[in-house]
Amino acid sequence: MSLARLVERLLQLIPVLLGVSVIVFVMITLTPGDPVDIMIGDEIVTEEQEEAMRRDLGLDRPVHERFLVFLGNAVQGDFGESFYHGRPVADVIAERLPATIELTLVAMIIALVTAIPLGVLAAIKRNSILDRIATVGSLLGVSLPGFWFGILLIMLFAVQLDLLPVSGRIGYAFEIEPITHFMLIDTLLRGRPDAFLDALSHIILPAITLGLPMTAILMRVTRASMLEVLRQDYVTFAEAKGLARHRILFRHALKNALIPTVSVAAIETGSLLGGNMIVETVFGWPGLGRLVVESIFVRNYPLVQAAVLLYAVTYVMLNFFADILYTVLNPRVKL
Amino acid sequence: MTRFPRLLAASLLALGTAAPVASAQDLVVGFTRDADTLDPANHRNRETQTIIRNMYDGILTRDSSMEIHPELAESYTQVSPTEYDFVIRDGVRFHDGSAMTLEDVKFTLERLFTEGGMGDGQTSPRQSLLGPLESVEITGEDTVRLTLAEPWPLLPAMLPFQEVVSKDHVEAVGNDGMATEANGTGPFRLVDWRKGDSIIMERFDDYYGGAEGIEPVGPACVERAIFRIIPESASRVAALLAGDVHIINELPAFAVPQVEASDVADVMTVNGTRSFFIAMNNQGEIFDDVRVRQAVAHAIEKDLIIDAILGGNAARIEGILSPDAFGKNEDLPAYDHDPEKARALLAEAGYPDGIEVTMDVEGAFKDTAEAIASMLTEAGITTTVAVGEGALLTEKWRTMGEPKEGDMYFSSWGNGSLDPEDIFVPTHMTDARGNSAGYSNSEIDRLLDEAATEVDREVRASMYQEAEAIVNAEVPYVYLWVPQDIYGVSRRVSGWSPSPDGRINLHDACLN
Repeated sequence: MSLARLVERLLQLIPVLLGVSVIVFVMITLTPGDPVDIMIGDEIVTEEQEEAMRRDLGLDRPVHERFLVFLGNAVQGDFGESFYHGRPVADVIAERLPATIELTLVAMIIALVTAIPLGVLAAIKRNSILDRIATVGSLLGVSLPGFWFGILLIMLFAVQLDLLPVSGRIGYAFEIEPITHFMLIDTLLRGRPDAFLDALSHIILPAITLGLPMTAILMRVTRASMLEVLRQDYVTFAEAKGLARHRILFRHALKNALIPTVSVAAIETGSLLGGNMIVETVFGWPGLGRLVVESIFVRNYPLVQAAVLLYAVTYVMLNFFADILYTVLNPRVKL
Repeated sequence: MTRFPRLLAASLLALGTAAPVASAQDLVVGFTRDADTLDPANHRNRETQTIIRNMYDGILTRDSSMEIHPELAESYTQVSPTEYDFVIRDGVRFHDGSAMTLEDVKFTLERLFTEGGMGDGQTSPRQSLLGPLESVEITGEDTVRLTLAEPWPLLPAMLPFQEVVSKDHVEAVGNDGMATEANGTGPFRLVDWRKGDSIIMERFDDYYGGAEGIEPVGPACVERAIFRIIPESASRVAALLAGDVHIINELPAFAVPQVEASDVADVMTVNGTRSFFIAMNNQGEIFDDVRVRQAVAHAIEKDLIIDAILGGNAARIEGILSPDAFGKNEDLPAYDHDPEKARALLAEAGYPDGIEVTMDVEGAFKDTAEAIASMLTEAGITTTVAVGEGALLTEKWRTMGEPKEGDMYFSSWGNGSLDPEDIFVPTHMTDARGNSAGYSNSEIDRLLDEAATEVDREVRASMYQEAEAIVNAEVPYVYLWVPQDIYGVSRRVSGWSPSPDGRINLHDACLN
């Protein structure tokens, strides 16, 4: 793929993001529910005081003016001040984002390392008991609600077996000065294997819960594409040539079978962001998803706008990345 | 194949031993929600207040039975209907070591009540909690005088909601610094705020001891106090049972038996301050007739719902006020469960075949609303439950006098100060913010107006009692119950009790 083509694809993102900003702004502004009213709650307030609050939040200005201000500032990376935190939205999001990214990556790794071997195994041993178990398992994996599955894991591993903690990112006994803001990496960089194990024990249940549907989907994709590859002529030829079975499977077939798996994985990572909102709530994981849900309920406009824009950028970038990966893995496909 | 399970077991074991073992002196609260900010002047949120209050003390405070005590003040006196003198303690230190002065007290209040008082043209969102406070002056070596624009008997009840900050500190770090740092005079100082995860505090050894009227006086009992944020209630219960946390708030009624059956924790309850009711659209065609409203009141078997759905953890009410509120009318007649009487009242009002109505409710209370709907339906008031999102329903029902659509709204109003003004005025005064019933009665308006500035406590109480008798007869709302706040508390905790205003005061709590 040429560099010019890559730049062109990147430029195409601009109208997409502009469109998303408009949609996000319009949707949250049109959603009924008044932020000032929610903030006041059950308290007595005079009309003047209410007006002052509205003015302080910039909500006294007409909608079109607010949109232009939002857009103008957003282009410069300024998303305004959170209605509730008394600090810039960018700061509040930046504090919570690493936890979400870390959880998503670990969930993805868990999904990949379980889904690919299982998918391959199911394809090789097609119609065997193992294949059937894997099929039913993957059906369960996509259908079990993350909320229920998470609580089940907590009850089993934290309450009954007392092996893992219920919630949080790391025990409060550990004070790790952040470097990358990824707990698993920072604990290692700071030379604290005990803290690393503690952080690992915290992330394992939420990551499994989050990664479960993805594991199920990737396993099905791997199985299907492996089966298809195994039917190809070159595999028959390799068998006829007398190549060892494992050599055919792992050197020739798997490489091709993984192409769809990898691109589906990249796209599915985007949907993990959605799953995060539930998993983060169940496990008290201090990530962005939970913050966004809380912010939607209280109509914290600036935070929701910035976060949704961030989600959109991430999603678009992941798709873009998946496209590129596809061309790298399969040179016959051109962007 | 035998190696794999063994490997798995070994790694699980390794993880198990890595799980945190809380130090004997770490008291951990599993809490529903993180603080929005640590700036006592820049929030409007009860959970934020609960967390902040362990690091910041106020001029006045409350004990767990809601009695008001001087805290940073030594004493206070009402000099005239609009003037209060507060004698401020000597020898109180902020966490940074500096001494608290009268200037700090004055600065704190001015930052709260002055228009633009937070700087940059920003007004504190807590301004309205200080009512008609007009000025704060230092009038003596140890005295500040608070002057009100008009009499406002609520002042002492509202002051525990405000915490004293250090003037020098605010000027040094600005509003941005105040949002994430804490420099109070409270029993705990901030160690680390892991946003969304936990707030870690340690004992402040130079603490002056806290309110003299509330035992024990002195530094906090535990070395560290930690708020761990666990929004999901099932996870909070699990954390309590697993011993990860020692106190949890908002224990759901359905989990009470589970905690009671465990041998690690107990259930503690305290009367809450939130009154639940059903608003009937008094401006609508059906509910403008008092007989129809009375029919609704007679159709509902409150005691059954309290027992069956709320696990007995609620006090029934016949008027808007909580049984613990100031000015509560103790002699209100009860609307007994009597479906026949309800039918008769409906027939009298011109609906011999009954009526069909819709009841709006938030998702969290769907179960209760459906139980009520089935009772109403049995008495000839065929009711459909419509679940809506909180902010949408508020907009639909709290129209401040504008015409509204809808029949009934299952709702509630909080009353953290337990003073009637905080709940009676917004829900019953003509066109008020929370008057979702659209009720209007000039006699009620007059009583509430006069009571707001009446200085004689007994006269004031009698005005509210009279008002409550009127609304009990006119039933603009069906007054239902005040639920108890339910906490799960580890058996290792002693010295702590929950408080009706939702405060979790960790100063007195010990861990055995």
